[in-house]
Amino acid sequence: MFGYIIPEKPELKIREYEAYRAYYCGVCRAIKTNHGNLPRLTLNYDTTFLALLLSALFEEEPNMEDCRCAIHPLKRRKMITNSEILSYAADMNVLLSWLNLADKWEDDKSQIAYAGMLALKPAYLRVTAKYPEKSRNIHEQLKLLSQLEANRCDSIDQAAEPFAKLMEEVILYPLIDSSDKDHERNKKALPWFGYHIGKWIYTIDALDDLESDIRSKAYNPFLYQYWKREASGRDTKDIKDLPKDILEAAEFNLFATLSEIAKSFELLQFKRHKDIIGNIIYQGMQRKTETILRKGKQP
Amino acid sequence: MRDPYEVLEIDRGASKEEIQKAYRKLVKQYHPDQYHDHPLAGLAEEKLAEINEAYDILMKGGGASGTYRDNSSSWNQNTQNTSSGNTNSFYQEVRLHINNGNLSHAEKMLDQSNAQTAQWHFLKGVIYQKKGWYSQAMTHLQIAVNMEPGNPEFRSALNAMGYNSQVYRDRSRQYGRRDMDFCDVCQCLICTDCCCECMGGDCIPCC
Repeated sequence: MFGYIIPEKPELKIREYEAYRAYYCGVCRAIKTNHGNLPRLTLNYDTTFLALLLSALFEEEPNMEDCRCAIHPLKRRKMITNSEILSYAADMNVLLSWLNLADKWEDDKSQIAYAGMLALKPAYLRVTAKYPEKSRNIHEQLKLLSQLEANRCDSIDQAAEPFAKLMEEVILYPLIDSSDKDHERNKKALPWFGYHIGKWIYTIDALDDLESDIRSKAYNPFLYQYWKREASGRDTKDIKDLPKDILEAAEFNLFATLSEIAKSFELLQFKRHKDIIGNIIYQGMQRKTETILRKGKQP
Repeated sequence: MRDPYEVLEIDRGASKEEIQKAYRKLVKQYHPDQYHDHPLAGLAEEKLAEINEAYDILMKGGGASGTYRDNSSSWNQNTQNTSSGNTNSFYQEVRLHINNGNLSHAEKMLDQSNAQTAQWHFLKGVIYQKKGWYSQAMTHLQIAVNMEPGNPEFRSALNAMGYNSQVYRDRSRQYGRRDMDFCDVCQCLICTDCCCECMGGDCIPCC
């Protein structure tokens, strides 16, 4: 589910790449500060994107410091420190990771997932206590998603909706109201942006899992929407036998979503790093989409 | 008012041509047609106004001349209902609800009637598009066009869906590409001169 939102590294300038990494390391550090060392293992690129985005939109002067990293002890690294926004991103990282593990435990009864849940439980409780309303909204959306999946929802749009709404909730950083005109504009554009980010993540994850879902006979909205029941049999049919329709439809949906992400991105007012985020949206996510589509098209 | 150079995304000391080029690029990007019927159309309009103001300042009080000021080819115009002269008030009311952003109410009205006419599918498609349900939107718009192929409103909505994705793809292909700078121009001239000399001419006599 996570790790699809990445930059197109070769197209980043070196200073942009270092800035991106400063956020990645900064969130890692923030997780440690808020929740201790173990939850740092759940750090992912999506949270880095969240931190970078919110900081670029709302943070006046992010604090960059040279720090030591336990994993890379030889050289000090620049990282963002003492940031409310990174602290928020760290908390969201923990929340979403715990929920992801809970989902794996529900679906597959995975022992590793259960162990992860136990390890993350204290951190998870801390976050839900800190953001009670947000956590409640996120839980509700996940409950809706479980219901849709249990009822074998046969519309990718409908199935993606709860996760899209969830990301909309996550991306709405609880900003203290200010008279900054840019903040007002950004607050209008962010929900549409967040919704489509969530929709893209869910859709691309469903597409990526298509092959394995066929084998394991797990629920996949694409299969239920585009695969005729009478042909289903559902016994290990290879992805190459899938109708062309699924891939065509997935391509349309993903690019329509990317187009809306881009449109709302262009309406956001950034204080800095618009180039890095543009790289992620126009190049990183585009490449990821093409790669996964091509994987499905290969004989 | 923000720094006009920042608004037009150009460097200070940009020439008039560079200002005009930047202005044209941004107007194309934030043109009402790009955000036609879009939930964020208001924001795009604000951004366009900001761009126009910045351009006017930099071109030294050029006023309205040369700036794009048209205010939206809006979905509202279509409430005159161009569909085969049908002025069904039920569909008028659905359109009104869509215009006001009451998507769930509009959808409920359509679901209750379940008329499944071309107009019904078209409006269903529009609602789904505004909700962000693009596959469903495409399905219904396609049915509407199949049922009434001659209807320009239906066809234009269907085409617009494909067009948006194409705009994204084009922009991502161009992203990060810089404009020609002096080094590029010089290289081109030298190559031109070499080719010219190979053919017996001489583009730049001193090289």
